[in-house]
Amino acid sequence: MKNHGNTKNLFAATELINKKLRAQRIVKWIFGLMSVAILIPLVGLTTCLIIRAWPSLTWDFLTDVPKQGMRSGGIWSALVGTMYTVTFSLLVAVPVGVMAGIYLNEYARDNWFTRIVNLAVVNLAGVPSIVHALFGLGAFVVFAGLGKSILSASLTLAIMTLPVIIVSTKEALLAVPLTFRMACWNLGASRWQTIRTIVLPNSIGGILTGIILQVCRAAGETAPIMFTGAVFYKAVQRGDLFPYKPTEQFMALSYHLHTISTQVPGVPESMLYATAVVLLGFVLAFNTIAIVLRTRIRNRKKW
Amino acid sequence: MKNWKQELIKCVMAASMAVSLFGCKGEKGASGPQKVVISNSGSDTMVNLAQMWAEEYQKIKPEVSVEVAGGGSGVGIRDLIQGIVDIANCSRDLTDAEKEQAKRNTGKEPVEWIVGYDALAVYVHKSNPVESLTLEQLASVYAEGGPVDKWSQLNIDMKAAGGNDEIVRVSRQNSSGTYFYFREVVLGNKDYKPGSRDMSGSKDVVELVGKTIGAIGYSGMGYVTDAVKFVKLSAGEGKPAYEPSLENVAAGHYPLARSLLMYTDGQPQGAAKEYIEWILSPAGQEIVKKAGYIPVAASGK
Repeated sequence: MKNHGNTKNLFAATELINKKLRAQRIVKWIFGLMSVAILIPLVGLTTCLIIRAWPSLTWDFLTDVPKQGMRSGGIWSALVGTMYTVTFSLLVAVPVGVMAGIYLNEYARDNWFTRIVNLAVVNLAGVPSIVHALFGLGAFVVFAGLGKSILSASLTLAIMTLPVIIVSTKEALLAVPLTFRMACWNLGASRWQTIRTIVLPNSIGGILTGIILQVCRAAGETAPIMFTGAVFYKAVQRGDLFPYKPTEQFMALSYHLHTISTQVPGVPESMLYATAVVLLGFVLAFNTIAIVLRTRIRNRKKW
Repeated sequence: MKNWKQELIKCVMAASMAVSLFGCKGEKGASGPQKVVISNSGSDTMVNLAQMWAEEYQKIKPEVSVEVAGGGSGVGIRDLIQGIVDIANCSRDLTDAEKEQAKRNTGKEPVEWIVGYDALAVYVHKSNPVESLTLEQLASVYAEGGPVDKWSQLNIDMKAAGGNDEIVRVSRQNSSGTYFYFREVVLGNKDYKPGSRDMSGSKDVVELVGKTIGAIGYSGMGYVTDAVKFVKLSAGEGKPAYEPSLENVAAGHYPLARSLLMYTDGQPQGAAKEYIEWILSPAGQEIVKKAGYIPVAASGK
């Protein structure tokens, strides 16, 4: 009974608690503001781009080839070129990258060789794209004799995207709990059976996300392709789905944006912005696919 | 569990099939109607002209696809020496050493084609009061050891125009044919004064001059915009000054007229031959005029 008042006081807010709560509120607001601040450049950039690009953003702009000295018409030749290089580079980088990632995470023992490979992968991921460009010029254009072509450019892009695909594959596999594998092994399954039936289905979302993010990078990079095969202009037919042979040079969106903004006089401003919007749209579309895949697959996770 | 997995595998398979179909068809479709590719690289001065030719030629001969790449005359010459380009664009002559190299590498003597003329224009900001300059004055601005660094030394008052007295020299990167032509003809093969802004494109030069009141720059006459004006040039003190124009170049008055050249490794064959013939025909020369340059026939040379 005597203690009753004391007990009550024990739960009343003291000076110390109030101070803690104040600090907590301030921190929460600052952090929240920072999160909102991230949105400002993104929203600002896209609205600004779209408003300025609006007069040129038509269906014709997508499907027509550049005309009148690239001052009117569309960007079909560049759009197709970008799709080609992205597709070819993925055809090379995805099988190699995913298989290497699986080996490194599931099979490889922790010895000096694996450590060197892992170190190499991480370092390769950090190499600037202009260095990849020079490597591509030396290795594919000159040494392998592929010339400046879609093949050289795609292979250069593949080399550039490969390390990140390996790393993201490894990360995705690492997220599958070891207990899953152990349960599987204890039932007598081989490593490959375990990978095929348990590990891959549970990590495919992460792997695909990594791949798709690399699509965006391959589509946006300019340096690697301008050294290995992108040209100022190439005459193609409007709406032609297959205007380039793999051994030919090509036009690409990112390089096209560079040329019409720095080399060609008298290009209407809205065309520059419209080209940027299409490039951005290309990348955002792929990002959206990644997000949808990730959420769909996350919902099915059993743990 | 089974269900979604199959669904995913189906998705991936469909995607990869679409992708491989896309890839295969690309090769098949292209080799169907005998498609010919002409590669064309080099001069930055000529890159927009070359693009317009390529675009127009596509309308006449849909089966011929011309690839145009810029980078400067030096890039075209390098490609020509390596034999990896059909036609190289140049805004300067090949040196004897380069001809020798090309011959040694490809076994063929480079053949030169004059496809038009350009008046190398000297640009200033449109509010700059300067009207005309002599070639010596230009050299004293640009050449190493040249004494002129300020507009007032040329008796030009920049105060009224609202700019700085200091001359901002705009120049080109050294793979540019324009860079070499200017160095040879205006500077008498002396080096450029250090401290100039070396731009990597003809358009960049004109754009920078258009934004900087105290700037001076040189570029092909086809790159003129509303923000800049031509400076009339005279060959020497007391001689009349001329604006870069079709008439003045044709009459041989303008001191910085130069030929726009195309080079091929040996006599061109097939599609490349037809292409050059078309460029030299009235239809091709009409485009030279449209691009802001001077057709071969109009020049008195």
